[in-house]
Amino acid sequence: MTTMTYLQAISSALRDELRADERVLVMGEDVGVFGGAFKVTDGFVEEFGGDRVMDTPLAESAIIGCAVGAAVVGMRPVCEMQFADFISCGFDQLVNVAGRMHYRQGLAVPIVVRLPSGGGFSGGPFHSQNPEALFMHSPGLKVVAPSTAADAKGLLHAAIHDPNPVCFMEHKHLYRRVKGDVPEGVFETPFTARVARPGSDLVVIAYGAMVDVALEATSDLEGASIEVLDLRSLVPLDEDAVLDSVARCSKVVIVDEANMTCAAGAQVAALIAEKAFEDLDGPVVRVATPDVPIPFSPPLEQAVLPGVDRVKEACRELLNY
Amino acid sequence: MSSSTTESLSASHPPTTVDVTMPQMGVSVAEGTVVAWRVEVGDRVAAEQTICEISTDKIDTEVPAPVGGVVAEIIVGVEETVEVGVVLARIATGADAGDAILPPPSAPAPGDAILPPPSAPEPGDAILPPPPAPEPTSPSGRRRYSPVVQRIAAEHDIDLSAVVGTGRDGRVRKQDVLAFVDANGAEPAEPPMHIESPYRPDPSPAPAAVAGARVEAASPGAAPASPGADGGGLSRMRRQIGQHMKRSLDTAATCTTWIEADMGRVEAARARLGVTALAFVARATIEALREYPALNAWLEGDRYTRVDDVNLGIAVSLGDDGLIVPVIHRAHELSVEGLAARIRELARRARDRSLSADDVAGGTFTITNPGRYGSIMATPIINQPQVGILDLEAVVKRPVVLTDPQGTDSIAIRPMTILGLSWDHRALDGVLSAQFLAGVKRRLEGVVV
Repeated sequence: MTTMTYLQAISSALRDELRADERVLVMGEDVGVFGGAFKVTDGFVEEFGGDRVMDTPLAESAIIGCAVGAAVVGMRPVCEMQFADFISCGFDQLVNVAGRMHYRQGLAVPIVVRLPSGGGFSGGPFHSQNPEALFMHSPGLKVVAPSTAADAKGLLHAAIHDPNPVCFMEHKHLYRRVKGDVPEGVFETPFTARVARPGSDLVVIAYGAMVDVALEATSDLEGASIEVLDLRSLVPLDEDAVLDSVARCSKVVIVDEANMTCAAGAQVAALIAEKAFEDLDGPVVRVATPDVPIPFSPPLEQAVLPGVDRVKEACRELLNY
Repeated sequence: MSSSTTESLSASHPPTTVDVTMPQMGVSVAEGTVVAWRVEVGDRVAAEQTICEISTDKIDTEVPAPVGGVVAEIIVGVEETVEVGVVLARIATGADAGDAILPPPSAPAPGDAILPPPSAPEPGDAILPPPPAPEPTSPSGRRRYSPVVQRIAAEHDIDLSAVVGTGRDGRVRKQDVLAFVDANGAEPAEPPMHIESPYRPDPSPAPAAVAGARVEAASPGAAPASPGADGGGLSRMRRQIGQHMKRSLDTAATCTTWIEADMGRVEAARARLGVTALAFVARATIEALREYPALNAWLEGDRYTRVDDVNLGIAVSLGDDGLIVPVIHRAHELSVEGLAARIRELARRARDRSLSADDVAGGTFTITNPGRYGSIMATPIINQPQVGILDLEAVVKRPVVLTDPQGTDSIAIRPMTILGLSWDHRALDGVLSAQFLAGVKRRLEGVVV
C-alpha cells in the first residue's frame, strides 16, 4: 500500500500499464512534453518516448478517431481530453464510431477516454461540466467515475483491460484533495458499486465527487443511520447493489453533480421506481445541479452545485417524512 | 372514458353482492374445509384481504376477498367441508357498502379504463387505488401508506389503522410499522404451508389491547385451542405428522433391511458433476424400482396397485416446523443432473412454503436423507400408501476388505454408507427387498466416473 492522491493514482495506473503492456499508448493535448494540463503524465515522455506518449493537435475528433483506428489494429490507446467539456468536439468519433464498431463490424475498440470533469474551482461553463449521462445514453460505451484514489487506479486498470470503449470520468476537484491507500501494482476494481458507509435509515446514492459530499453531509444527522452507496460504474450500473440498499433503507436520496435533467441519478431513480417500489417508504429525492451552465462566479457556482448543506437538508426532510 | 360515465356509474351503483367460493388449489383437489373465519358479518374488507383459512387434504391456504366491501353473509361454517366452487360467503359492494375499494367486476362498462373509477369522479385523479381499509384518523381524511409500509402490514397481517404514525402529519413510517410488529409480537403471516397435512402457525396470544386494534387472531370458531410454543402443545403440523406416522405403523407390517454400499465412485462422479450423492442414490433407486416394480406401488386396504411412473418423494426438513415430502413426478425420465436440479428446486420451494398441492401428491416411493449430521442407520416409516422408503445416511470412511480378480484380499479405506429400506410385509417379502437393495448397491458401485 502506498498513500497517494487521486491524481497520483491515475498517473500510477497509466505508468504501470505503459510498463506492463507495449500495446498501451497515451495521446492527448499537451500530454507529452508539458506533462498534461494537470500533470497526470508528468515525466512520461522521458520514460516511454514520444511514440507512446503522443502530443496531438487541438482536435478531439482526431484524437479519438486515431485511437479507434489504433485500437482496431490491436493497440490499447488511452486518450486524454484536456477537459471533459471538450468531448463534444469528439462526439461523433466516440459515439458513432467507437460505440457502434462492435455492433456493425464485430470489432473490439479497447480505448479509454479520460475525461477530467466536474466543477467547484471557478472554472466556468467550459471547464466544469459533467457530461457522463450523454455517454450512458449511447449504447456501446462504458462509463466509470471513481471517488477514491484506490478506485481511480483500479478502475483505470480495469478500463484499459476492458475490450470496450470506456469513458473514465476523473473528477478534477478530487485530483489533489483526495488521498488514500492504494495497493501496489496492477489490480482491477470491478465495475460495481461500493458501500462507502453502511446504514439502515436512508441511503444516499452518489458517485465521483458527490460521494465525499454525501459522506460529510450525513456523518452526523441526529443519530440517523445513513448509508452511502458509491456507484463507481454508471455503465454497467450495479442494479443489484442499488436495489439491495433500497431494500434495507427504504428511503433514498440521489446526488448528481451533473445537471438534473436525464442525469445518471435519473436512471437510478427510474430503476428504483420500477424494481423497488414495494421497498419505498418515501419519495425518491434527487439533489443535482439545476439545468444551468456552471457560473464563473465562485458564490454563484457554490449556489448551483450540490453541497453538504443541500444534501443534509434533503436527508433531514426525507427522514422526517 | 368520459367523466359523465364515471359519475353515473358511481352514483347509480346499486348494492350488490359478490360470491366468495372455495378455490381450486391444484388439479387433484376436489374439496376443502373451512378452518377459521378471519372476518365476521358486517366487517369491512379490502380486496385481497384474507377472509378465511381453508385446508384440503394436501395444503392449507387462505381465501382472499375478491372485492372490497362489507361481509354480508357467511355461509359455510368452521370445520365444514365443501366442494370446490361452493359459495363460502358473500360480500356486499356498491353504494350501501360504504367505502368499497373496488367496484364489483361487472361495474366498468366495456372499453372503460383498466383501473376502477375512484369514488371522486375526476378521471386521472388518483393513479393508485386508495389504501386498503383505512380508518380516517387524521383530520385531513384517510391516511395513505407507502409501498413498504403496506407490504410489511400485509406480511404481518396488521391493521394499519391501529399503528401510531410518527412521520409528518402522523404519517405511518416504516419504523412505526416495524415497531408495531415488535411490540405486538405478531407472527409474520406465513404463506400457507404445503404438506400432506394441513398446517398453520399457531395463532399468537392475543396482544394487549392497543387503542383501536382489531385482534385478528381471535377469529370465531378457530381451530381447537393449541397453546403456543411455550405452552407445550404441538403445532398443527407436528400433530399431523404424528398422526400420519402413527397411522403408517398401525397399518403396515413395517420391516427394515439394510445393505452397505461403497460410495467411492459416486463420490468421484458427484464431485465432477457438482451434485449431491442424493441425486445418484435417487437415480439408482429409480432404476432398481424399474427392475423390481413391486416396490413402486400403493397398498390401500386390500387394493395393491403397481404404478408405471416412478414419482419419487424426497423428504425435506423444514427445521423445527417439521418436514414435507415433495414429489418428483416421472422421475424415471430424469438424469442424475436433472434429478439434482429438481431436488434443489423442490427443497427450495418447500422451505419457501411455495409448493402447490400437486407438488406433494402422487408419490410412489420415498427417499429420506438425514445423513449430513453423521448418523449411520435408521428405521424410516413408510409414507402411506406407498410400500417402501429408502433411507440414505452418512457416507463414512471405513476399513473394508476388498478382493481383487485373483481372489487376493486386502484392506482398504473406502467411503461407505448403509442404505436402509423399510418395506411393507403385507405387499412383499424380504427376498425382494434384499434384491432391490442389492440392485441399488450394484448401480451405485458401478457409477461411471
